[in-house]
Amino acid sequence: MKQNLQSIQPVIMWKIARDEWRYWFRSKLAVVALLIGLTCTMSTVVVSVGDAFELEHQRGHAQQQSEQTFVNQPDRHPHRMVHYGHYVFKTPPPLGMVDPGVDSHTGNTIFLEGHRQNSATFADQKQSSGTTILGALTPAFVLQVLAPLLLVIMGYGVVSRERETQTLSILAAQGLGYGNLILGKISALLLVAMLMLLPLAISGIVVLSQGESLLTLSLFLVGYLLYLSIWILIIVSISLWAKSNSVSFSTLAFTWLVLCILMPRVATTVAGVMVPAAGKLEKDFAVAAELRQLGDGHNAKDKAFVQLEAELLKKHKVNRVEDLPLNFRGFVALKSEAEITSILNRYAEDRMHEELRQSFFARQFGWLSPQVALRTLSMLTAGTGLETHHRFLRETENLRFNFVQRLNQAHTNKLNYIDDMNRNKSEAAGQIARISAKNWNVIEGFKFRSSPSKERALQAMTPLAQLLLWFGMFGLFLRNLQRHYS
Amino acid sequence: MMRHLVREWRFLLGQNNVVILLCLCCALSSFAIYSGHQEIVAQHFTIERLQLAQQQDQQDILAKHKTPGSLAYYQFHLTYQTPSHLSFAALGDRDLYPWKHRIRMLALEGQIYESDVANPELAYIGKFDFSFLISVLAPLFVILMLHDIIANERNKGRYELLVVTASGSVVLWGYKTLVRFLALSLSMLAPFYIGSALNDVPLYDVLHVSILVLAYLAFWAALTLWFGRQSIFAPRIAATLIGFWVAVTCVIPITGNLLIEKNIEVPKGSEILLLQREIVNQAWDIPAETSLTEFVKTHPEYRVYTEMSEGFHWKWYYAFQQLGDQAVAHLAFDYRNAILTKFDLGGYIAMFAPPVLMRRQLSRMAQTDVISALRYEQSIRDFHQALRLYYYPYLFELHLFDESTLADMPQYSDFARL
Amino acid sequence: MKRNTQTLPISIDAQQLVVTLNNKKILNNLSFQVSSGEVYALLGGNGAGKSTALKTLLGFHKPVSGQAVIEGLAVSTSLSAIRKKIAYLPENASLYPHLNAFENIEYFLSLAAVHKTHAEIKISLQQVNLQQDAWQKPLSKFSKGMRQKTAIALALLRDSPILLLDEPTSGLDPVAIDEFNQLVMSLAKQGAAILMVTHDVYGACQVAQRIGLLRDGALVGEFVADGGHQIDTEQVHKAFTAGVID
Repeated sequence: MKQNLQSIQPVIMWKIARDEWRYWFRSKLAVVALLIGLTCTMSTVVVSVGDAFELEHQRGHAQQQSEQTFVNQPDRHPHRMVHYGHYVFKTPPPLGMVDPGVDSHTGNTIFLEGHRQNSATFADQKQSSGTTILGALTPAFVLQVLAPLLLVIMGYGVVSRERETQTLSILAAQGLGYGNLILGKISALLLVAMLMLLPLAISGIVVLSQGESLLTLSLFLVGYLLYLSIWILIIVSISLWAKSNSVSFSTLAFTWLVLCILMPRVATTVAGVMVPAAGKLEKDFAVAAELRQLGDGHNAKDKAFVQLEAELLKKHKVNRVEDLPLNFRGFVALKSEAEITSILNRYAEDRMHEELRQSFFARQFGWLSPQVALRTLSMLTAGTGLETHHRFLRETENLRFNFVQRLNQAHTNKLNYIDDMNRNKSEAAGQIARISAKNWNVIEGFKFRSSPSKERALQAMTPLAQLLLWFGMFGLFLRNLQRHYS
Repeated sequence: MMRHLVREWRFLLGQNNVVILLCLCCALSSFAIYSGHQEIVAQHFTIERLQLAQQQDQQDILAKHKTPGSLAYYQFHLTYQTPSHLSFAALGDRDLYPWKHRIRMLALEGQIYESDVANPELAYIGKFDFSFLISVLAPLFVILMLHDIIANERNKGRYELLVVTASGSVVLWGYKTLVRFLALSLSMLAPFYIGSALNDVPLYDVLHVSILVLAYLAFWAALTLWFGRQSIFAPRIAATLIGFWVAVTCVIPITGNLLIEKNIEVPKGSEILLLQREIVNQAWDIPAETSLTEFVKTHPEYRVYTEMSEGFHWKWYYAFQQLGDQAVAHLAFDYRNAILTKFDLGGYIAMFAPPVLMRRQLSRMAQTDVISALRYEQSIRDFHQALRLYYYPYLFELHLFDESTLADMPQYSDFARL
Repeated sequence: MKRNTQTLPISIDAQQLVVTLNNKKILNNLSFQVSSGEVYALLGGNGAGKSTALKTLLGFHKPVSGQAVIEGLAVSTSLSAIRKKIAYLPENASLYPHLNAFENIEYFLSLAAVHKTHAEIKISLQQVNLQQDAWQKPLSKFSKGMRQKTAIALALLRDSPILLLDEPTSGLDPVAIDEFNQLVMSLAKQGAAILMVTHDVYGACQVAQRIGLLRDGALVGEFVADGGHQIDTEQVHKAFTAGVID
């Protein structure tokens, strides 16, 4: 007898849910599992929030120091400062305290200097002790991998235990509607899920105070709730379908293994095989070959700049380079840097594009595992995914180009050409070929922010769709399992 | 004995869910071996391509730069670490630590920490290789296969009849367990054997890995059986065992890691770079004699050749590059040491976390762990030193530099693996 | 109480068995003997201790005091040797549902390290009257009576001198019960000692030479068949229900 929506009675649902909780309280296994699960969530949230604050402080301090050091350099030849370079540090975004994402695997320091684009170095993972296998115990990990396991351990018997003790047929004979039964069981498990999400919600307040927008925070929390709800639907479906408690548990444990432990790694492995990306080093050779065509920017007499020299002479209507109103070496440095940068940027964009294609491929596995979908949603919303790292690379590149060119500009306008050409003749000559340290104020304060919340929310739409599909699928599946009940 | 094995094997074939699990294990193992193999093949090809590109690059540079000073400045040298025979089974940290590097004669400390990272999003999740399958997943499969052997019979009311009929508990449970255990182990090892053949793995290593895998899985099987006797509720047995698995796979390693992190001071990598930068850039501002005098302290053979006729000489330039390296040598040493210490301490933690222990063993055998990465780093340092020793006589004008001397330039080679 | 004067060797000897489970005394100085060639029915209501008694003889429960001796061997010391001589028919006779009759029997015989040919198994199945078209069907398709027959066929093939039967006729229809009784009696004639635990008074009287009345873990009465006649059902029934009404 199919039950229609009108006969859903919240009171009956509530009774079913309460009975399930009573069963759990009397089951040693359920109580122990629940306590361990809650302890895990709580402790990871507390530790992560603490760590995030410390990290922000550390890196912010290092950033400040780096800026100070640059500005405090003495009078120098401007090109020395181009090679002296500047360090920038990446600070994690507010939600990064819950889901640090790729932060442990990207470097968090970049050295910005002229003529080169360096990669980020000193990823934290490189100096870990190598004991962790499944990744760090972040709140994200606990909720994505361990929380479903907890739900499985508590909920594997919601319907199958009734079937085994044959109370299910008694309930059915008494007229308990299918909808009421299922919704009641779901509610019981939903309460467990909410308890697990509570520490996360509380940390949300901290996150908001750090400047995260309500939109992304809500999307983040909704994603996690949706994910755990999907698991609840899976658990109730299989518990209903299974003939016995042990079949239910084995099937659910196996499902958890496949969806949460296996699938994510299969996704990255397949992505690596299907979309191979050449390493940076290989590209370096191609880059070097192209750069060699440009000529050496340190040498104003290089053949490549002959035409440039001719044009400039013509423009300023003089016959000798020495008579130009600007420093030709500095001018060459400006030009050269611009050309090098455009080549380097081209390669960098290609590489980032390639990485995105790989990630995109891996994220498609979200259609095959809700955990992959949630992980993507979580990283994108929090701003700790690949896109944000690329944004960091682009912003630091802008910073680099700007300060280098400003230095080159100072080189062109503030340093006399003849002094410059004579700089190596002697010690004294070297002292003359310098400009004032006041010119070092070209570094802007750098604070990296992840992309605006609307942009992140938009990026997260695909994984959200994946989660909604899963939800819909199992919701439908559950409706159609009614024949297993009556 | 054979009869018993055959009986239980036939019995096993009749149980659909077990057969499905075995097929799945074999499929997963095949996938892991296949993708690992592909990765290693790709790495070999990459090295070949890099070597070709390097040759081309070298020719171009040699054509353009003739003096030792500028040659040393512009020429990049390729260094790399070929994957070992067993790498296909345990990719280890090869996607975390670089296994290829281009360096030139400038200060090494400014170059050596550059990383050629793979896609961080993929590296952060990690790859699915044979090592992961055995260390992390296989125990779960063992648990699922063996946890309800006894409880199942109790539940179905066959327990007493079986115990009374069987001529001994070994005949009854021993063979059942053995057949399942062997079937599971072999379903996962078979693809590994195929992979080993394709990768020319020495027989000794194949045996070694087989014994490790069997011993590891036997541990889990014994644990499962012991728990399996305690209760008649199969789900309870399995849940407890999975809880134990979570403890040794997540909780203990992470707690151990935290303890190690809190107790071992690692100099910040950025400190090394910053200090080195300071020293090198300072050298431009101080008198050249100061730098050269400092340099001569460690290279007394060049004492008479430190004359500077102009403001810039390549010999002075490279001298202060070396001084920069020397200034941070202790920090770099501490950094490296700290990593090694952490790794060693991780070994103690691993004794309480079998999956970690297994993984470390396999990575060690495949030479894809941090020890190998540090060995590679050391080989780069050694090569860089050889480069310096080659160039200095020419830079300080002890000898004349021409075409014939190019033949003596050190070439990097991937030395025989230990 | 009359005692049988024929001297047959005693196969099963329960001597003052005291067994406690969960701090509750289930068997209270239980003593009885079963001779070879004899069918002994242990009669009792729910909770009287019948199954416990049987399981103690099988070695699953350790008595606090007293001992069980089977074919001269003590259960406490020679369990494996004793088990080789016992064929056991559990309540509900559940075998492997995914295997057919042949496969089930072969499996259990192999466990017992007993080798029987296909032909011998066939004879056994015929002996228990299991219809031939059912022999290749998996046991999940069998009725309870058919499963019972398969289990009995297995017990027969063990060639054991001792048979322990736990509620063998519960859930069987009258025809099956009759067939079963015939089989039991013929086995006893061949010299097996058969201990049957049941609460079916009528059935017990039909087959048993001796009936022991079990109440609260102790034997409160024993009935012996007179020569070739059956034990008087009314008598036993009265004694059985007497304690309940009191």
